[in-house]
Amino acid sequence: MTPEPIPSAIAAIERPREALMQWYFCKALATTVAFPVTLLLLYFRYHTMRYRFDGEGIHMSWGILVRHEVMLNYSRIQDIHLHSNVFKRWLGLARIEIQTAAGSSGSEMTLEGLEDPEGMRNFLYSRMRGAHDKTSSDPLTGVLTEIATELRAIRTAVEQRRA
Amino acid sequence: MRERILQLMLVPPEPHPPEGSADSVRIFRAGRNYYRFRLLLWLLGNIAAAAGFAAGHFATRRFLAQSPSWAVWVWAGAELTAVAVFVVAALFTFLEQRWNYELRWYIVTDRSLRIRGGIWSTHELTTTFANIQEIRVSSGPLQKLLGLADVEVHSAGGGSSGPHGSQGGHVARFEGLDNANEIRDYLVDSLRRYRDSGLGEADKEKTGPVVAAEVVLDEVRQLRAALARG
Repeated sequence: MTPEPIPSAIAAIERPREALMQWYFCKALATTVAFPVTLLLLYFRYHTMRYRFDGEGIHMSWGILVRHEVMLNYSRIQDIHLHSNVFKRWLGLARIEIQTAAGSSGSEMTLEGLEDPEGMRNFLYSRMRGAHDKTSSDPLTGVLTEIATELRAIRTAVEQRRA
Repeated sequence: MRERILQLMLVPPEPHPPEGSADSVRIFRAGRNYYRFRLLLWLLGNIAAAAGFAAGHFATRRFLAQSPSWAVWVWAGAELTAVAVFVVAALFTFLEQRWNYELRWYIVTDRSLRIRGGIWSTHELTTTFANIQEIRVSSGPLQKLLGLADVEVHSAGGGSSGPHGSQGGHVARFEGLDNANEIRDYLVDSLRRYRDSGLGEADKEKTGPVVAAEVVLDEVRQLRAALARG
């Protein structure tokens, strides 16, 4: 089955918003003495962060020294967390954490600095397992039901002709 | 006043139920006693903090008697600041208990659930019944006294509690319910309709296409029988 096309607004997402760097600056400030180091790390994280949303899943990559790349399928999503605190809300940010069944203690993927976090969450929800009634939307079931109806019509026609 | 502060903090309004199945939405709230429970915890925490302050104050007294006078002044300043911070923090956290109780939603639809909570830092969790592995009801001695219980819904995947304490990871918590059993029964009923939930594959169960194909087979047999009769 070919994957469903995804909304163009979501397919176009590649980079986090600039506000994310402002948030990272605040985050680095909170580390006081370690501020320069933290800021540098977060700066590189922000500038190397790339997203790609396609029909089947999410690709995310970041890092220079240590390169990270995470790929996951929409259908493997277990639960979606939407987090934000006062400062982030002032910057119009929220963090989406995606959990799969993998056993890591943290979330498997953290999406930060997206344009419309709630819209993204709704999109991810619509693609996760169990969000739709499978039986009614399954195309094969639909076709088979139609075949059965046709066959029943043929049988009635045959029986009528015999009578 | 309350609205103004919440607006300033940009606390999002009531959460929307997950898309689809609008007629099956049920919204649960924390029980009235949950507020009392939170207040009690708040009171105990603050009493402990105040006791800590008092102990520190009397413990350093002896040293201060032999210290130069400037050190005494610096120490007094530090103590005053600490007390001021404590009082302001206590006031804010007191207000927070009330709002934390009020701004808390547990939304359950026929195939998914959404849990929203928090003021300063808000979290909203969404998951589907197809991903749920187990349901737990727990209640501590203090909660039992107040007739409260927590319902925990676990999804697959282990790990420790995660960076967000008990709220993180693979657990959805319905906190401070006074009708925990009702909600548990409702969740179990909903889960029954997803017998393939969690990671268990549904290979024993007949899925939609198989059932439809059997109907087709039955029709074909009847058609052959009808033709053979003639």
